[in-house]
Amino acid sequence: MPSVERKPEHLVRLIWPEGRSEQVTLGATGKSGGAGEIFSIDGKPGFVAKIYHATTTPAHLARYRRKIQWMIDHRPELPEVPVEYQDIVQLAWPEALILRQSRFAGFLMRKIAFDRTLELDYLLNRRQAAEEGFDADYGRLVTVAFNLASLINCLHAKRIAIVDLKPMNVKVYKAELYVSILDCDGFHIATDEFRSDAPQVTPEYLAPEFQDKAVAHPESQDGFALATIIFRLLNYGIHPFTGVAGDKRHYPPELAGRIKQALYPYGRIASKSVRKVPASVHEAFPDPLRELFDRAFASCGYSRPSAHEWVDALASYASKQSGSMSPCDKGHLRFSGKPCPTCMRDALIRGAEVRRRSFLARVKNAPARTLKYVRKTLRQTHSSPFQAALAQAQITLVQLAPAAPISTRNAIALEILWISGLLIAYWWAR
Amino acid sequence: MSPVTATVVWAAALLIAWLWRPRRGATPSAWILLITFGALGAWALWFGLYAHPGEPASLAFWKPTILYWTLAAIVIVVPWLGAGYPAKVILGTYFAFSSREWRSINRGLAAVCIILGGVNLWAAHQASPKDWEGFKYGCNMILLVIVLFRLNFVWLPILADVCIYFYRRATAAYRHLSSWLA
Repeated sequence: MPSVERKPEHLVRLIWPEGRSEQVTLGATGKSGGAGEIFSIDGKPGFVAKIYHATTTPAHLARYRRKIQWMIDHRPELPEVPVEYQDIVQLAWPEALILRQSRFAGFLMRKIAFDRTLELDYLLNRRQAAEEGFDADYGRLVTVAFNLASLINCLHAKRIAIVDLKPMNVKVYKAELYVSILDCDGFHIATDEFRSDAPQVTPEYLAPEFQDKAVAHPESQDGFALATIIFRLLNYGIHPFTGVAGDKRHYPPELAGRIKQALYPYGRIASKSVRKVPASVHEAFPDPLRELFDRAFASCGYSRPSAHEWVDALASYASKQSGSMSPCDKGHLRFSGKPCPTCMRDALIRGAEVRRRSFLARVKNAPARTLKYVRKTLRQTHSSPFQAALAQAQITLVQLAPAAPISTRNAIALEILWISGLLIAYWWAR
Repeated sequence: MSPVTATVVWAAALLIAWLWRPRRGATPSAWILLITFGALGAWALWFGLYAHPGEPASLAFWKPTILYWTLAAIVIVVPWLGAGYPAKVILGTYFAFSSREWRSINRGLAAVCIILGGVNLWAAHQASPKDWEGFKYGCNMILLVIVLFRLNFVWLPILADVCIYFYRRATAAYRHLSSWLA
């Protein structure tokens, strides 16, 4: 293995929760975010270090240090995982402080095995998921949604909220279906003894009542983002506020604007202002889930379901023993008593493909059809009475002289003379 | 385009016209119009492309008048000689009228040409250069109208015929090629 040159700034000291300190050497990974850079640690393959950028102000660093110290001291209780999955990292939670030259520089966290995981974003597109080795059937998707809701529920129980919850910040274990949330140092914490805000938001996952405003109720914001992610997971990536304008009033082009105006087209009571996109399969969702979606997206926060409610609602679908999900005739998993969403989607896509091929065939045949029409018009051999009437109407605007029985070549010869005459007349008259 | 190229293109077009000419007799009025425009065209070709500076300077004022009054003379004299109505040669492609109606149209055309020629002389000498240019521009709109008429009633159907011809040839070639390859 080639030796890597270590700079002095790569030598840092870890401060573990029990007070033990340890000197380690960092190795660059090339991964960098808005707040800091990720480093590997020599001799600790199960951990990575997040070192805040050198441009971070001392005041910000001090705030980060207080928050990280509190997080190390108050690790939340996470959903239980089977013994054989103990190496799964559900939260990239701070494990130890990192000091460089006795000054706070970042924190240590457990490393998420990137080869065993994929971004939740990939699950929103079945083809991408398949390319990453994830067979995204409805049973597995519901399980992922259930695990995500469980994790968020545990955080909320400790009065910790994610706020900037979005698919890019969530990793999914491909085989085990557990999820892992990144960027924990950006969480909102509001306990009696400690408080830290989370200013980072993503408009596409931001609840309508917080668009253009500070997030006043972080748990409610998490509820909105969680519902959005679950909706997209189950509906082939379609965002709940993607739709087609239903009336003549202004329809915002960006998702944030539609969220702000609560233009949600997938409710059990159809919206008059906006229509669903044709490829949506939301009608195959079970009624309890549809009710939760309606409350999450159409209520403006008053009755938005909490993560706990999502856990309760999804638990039976995530359990094989419950029988809440059953195979359809083609073997796809579906919600029992509902049409199969996979078959629905296939039919919709196939219909779209048939229409696309038909359109392309029409475009391809257009020149030949046009020539045929012109030929019939010239020869007055239209078989359709409508076309015949239309063709006659084009030339009965004036009383035409009977067509001279001359060939096309003769006509071209005469027109050469006409064009010459017109050019001559132009030269004399100009 | 150089004068020689323009001449060659024009000559080639006229050669095609001669080779593809209808093999039936033209009316005397058509021949007279053809000969007159041949002469006007030869003048235009010579002084427009080869000897432009040699053209008399004062002729510039008279050129439109020469055209209109020549046309007027033909339109008046030819029916008097019993050689048909030139107006029918110009407009007969589009409209079907009786002889009496053609006579009236012929007279109207003659009157228009006489007036236009006279107005051109008056505008060239009495009106400002800008007004004279405006008058000539307006007269050229008559040519534009004729072009649009022929485009709609003659050139587009010819183009359709040509397209049909090439379409048939292409499909036949395609069939032949595919059967040959099979």
